[in-house]
Amino acid sequence: MKRLLTPLLLALALPLAAQSSTDALLRRAEAAYAKGDHKSALALYDSVNTRMTSASLLFNIGNCWSKLGDVPHAILYYERALRLAPGAEDIQANLDQERAKVVDRMNELPSFTLGSLWDRLQGGTDVDQWARRSLWACALMAIAAITGTWARARGAKRLLFGTAAIALVATVCSALLAFYRVQQVEDRGSAIIMTPSVDILGEPHAGSTRLFILHQGTKVSALQRHGEWQEVRLASGAVGWLPSGSIEVI
Amino acid sequence: MLKNIIPLASFLLLACFPARAQQITFQASVDRNEIAAGEPVKLTISLENASGGAMTTPDWGGMVVMQGPMESSSFSSINGRMSRSVSRIWYLTATQPGSYVIGSSTVRVGGGVLHTDPITIKVAKGAAGGSSADVDRAQKKDPNLFCTISLSKSKAFVGEQVIATYTLYYRYNSLQPQDYNLPKLNGFWAEEVDMGNQNGSTATINGLRYNVAVLKKQVLIPLHSGKLRVEPMTLNYLVNPSFFSSGTPVRIQSNASELTVIDLPGGKPADFMGAVGDLQMEVTTGTPQVKANEAIDLSVRFSGRANLKLIDAPKLTLPPDFDTYDPKINDKITVNGSGMSGSREFQYLLIPRHAGKYDLGTLTFSFFDPSSGTYKQLRSAPLTFDVAPGDGNGTATVGTPVQSDVQRLGSDIRYIRTGDLDLRPKGHYLFGSWAYVLGMALPPLLLLLSFLVHRRREQRLGDHEGQRRRGADKVAKQRLAAAAAALEKNDRNAFHDALGKALEGYFADKFNLGVAEVTETSIREKLGILDGGRTAEAYIALINDAQMARFAPLETKPQRQAYDEAAEIISRIEHQLRK
Repeated sequence: MKRLLTPLLLALALPLAAQSSTDALLRRAEAAYAKGDHKSALALYDSVNTRMTSASLLFNIGNCWSKLGDVPHAILYYERALRLAPGAEDIQANLDQERAKVVDRMNELPSFTLGSLWDRLQGGTDVDQWARRSLWACALMAIAAITGTWARARGAKRLLFGTAAIALVATVCSALLAFYRVQQVEDRGSAIIMTPSVDILGEPHAGSTRLFILHQGTKVSALQRHGEWQEVRLASGAVGWLPSGSIEVI
Repeated sequence: MLKNIIPLASFLLLACFPARAQQITFQASVDRNEIAAGEPVKLTISLENASGGAMTTPDWGGMVVMQGPMESSSFSSINGRMSRSVSRIWYLTATQPGSYVIGSSTVRVGGGVLHTDPITIKVAKGAAGGSSADVDRAQKKDPNLFCTISLSKSKAFVGEQVIATYTLYYRYNSLQPQDYNLPKLNGFWAEEVDMGNQNGSTATINGLRYNVAVLKKQVLIPLHSGKLRVEPMTLNYLVNPSFFSSGTPVRIQSNASELTVIDLPGGKPADFMGAVGDLQMEVTTGTPQVKANEAIDLSVRFSGRANLKLIDAPKLTLPPDFDTYDPKINDKITVNGSGMSGSREFQYLLIPRHAGKYDLGTLTFSFFDPSSGTYKQLRSAPLTFDVAPGDGNGTATVGTPVQSDVQRLGSDIRYIRTGDLDLRPKGHYLFGSWAYVLGMALPPLLLLLSFLVHRRREQRLGDHEGQRRRGADKVAKQRLAAAAAALEKNDRNAFHDALGKALEGYFADKFNLGVAEVTETSIREKLGILDGGRTAEAYIALINDAQMARFAPLETKPQRQAYDEAAEIISRIEHQLRK
């Protein structure tokens, strides 16, 4: 019995210990940030981010970079945070402030037209929200259908089967949304330019035609890769190649 | 400079001399004991009222003899008293600044030896005399009349004070200035030094003796870095004017001077406003407790040696509820040979518009200290004001308070999120996890299971007909319960009576009729639609048989058969009517 219990207790206690140490790190990071020691706050948040993540954590890391004056890193982390929490107002506000410092003007749509119903529909901060909803809807569908088959009265039967049908539609829809959300969070299709300036070339080798120059903080879509070269597309639609070391995928 | 005579101790050997002999003194004196490097100092050693042997030459202690010794002797007789003196004169100088000691000289008089005291000469950095190279060059141009411009430093930081001295050297007895052209100063802020009444001095340069006049001194403050040039000045003089001639016009031009100006080092503090030098700050406020709409005096005084006239008013960070005006500037600045010093005071008038406790923080001011080459920060004590509500209401206007929009004073990113950050393991999502697949699969499986169980049960219960018959049988059994009991007891009369009543009662209940209304006509009417009237006829026949059998001992069929038929017909009616 004891032999069985010890690993069980350990398994229970380990996550708790990890939790408390993470909490301590977060408290220390908060204190450092409040004192203006953004460098150590960043180091502490980064150490938490190796294992765990959340929109709030990424947002805080972005704030540290912003305070340290590193615009591309700040944008990178705000973008990552925003992907976990679409439409989060404070993240969007800080991202807009950092984007104002980017040299390249991109005709990206203003945030407030996008950050509306669609953002809210995507489920806010919680990535699992739609997955959980689909589970509930599925359970409801089953319960309604089961009680429907056993019901005697004709009216009750109709009501229950109607409910089950609606719940089925809801299950499918929310499962699709959950699928979309995970795809979106896992999407590695866009990147931020990290080097102060980078030449965008026509072909994936040095010495090919220089098409245009991009500067740090600019967001691009990542297309195909070819060795050490990455094909990117700008918001304007222009396409070119750059060394893959000069960008960081969001 | 005043001619300091350093009195020397002298030995009195009165006892050895006749009473009418004068006092014997042996002393050394200098015309001044503080000079600049390169300047001459005149040393006189004199022996009075004694004839002695040769004086010894003192130890120069590192100083250089420019001229001398020159001997002079004098003899005088006043009221029968005779006095005589012998003196030797040297002109000494030093090329390096420092402290020099001229040793003592000795002389033998009679049987004894007299000493002079040692003299200390302090030599400062050569400033007034200018760099000797410039002077030499100018002297070569015209050995009788020349002028120089010299700077106290050859290298300076932007904003550091440099003193420019314009000096005239001449050997003529008489000189009359005509006009002059002062150099243009580009890249400098210049401040005239008040010279006051100045006596001319003399200097010996390369063996020639000159009268030296400092024409002008300026405090120059370089405004930008690089090599800044002080252009030569030109002077026109009439030499040796007299009653008979107007003199010879002479035009002289000084050297040009160059100053290397170094930029202030990087890392300027935010509150650095260009002050260079050595400063103190004193912040005084009037009453710390005031009422709203009453003025507060805030005075910020900078004192010390710096480019005070270039100091701008320090910026106060005031809450928007404070009104202020441009500060009044009170200067107590003197510009002398050592530069600009004194104090500059900024007087602010602050008017709080609302009551409350205001913390203006500490006032900081940074200046650059060229001697250490670093920035130094001055800090005031924290400025706090406790503003009591003013007379009347707390705002400036009489009547309704004026509302104003909240002013946006700055922008900053939103603060970090604190507390629980909703952390989750990286790359783990509920969607697609085992739990999710299970959660999605389980309800439909349960549903399927339930459906199967339901169908199985339906099958077990049989078809609809059977089920209905079973239900109808129940009604018939209830109705025929009394008849069945009589049949058990083999009570013939009671059986037929119960059977008839049951049939009549069932029909009456079914169609909501009274027992009296159960007639052949009503039976045919109600049940005629069933089985083309056969059911109605069979029902009537059964009732009639039961009545007949009750009143006459006549049975058309056995009791069991009659019972079964009655049960069967009631069941059939039940089914058929339910459809």
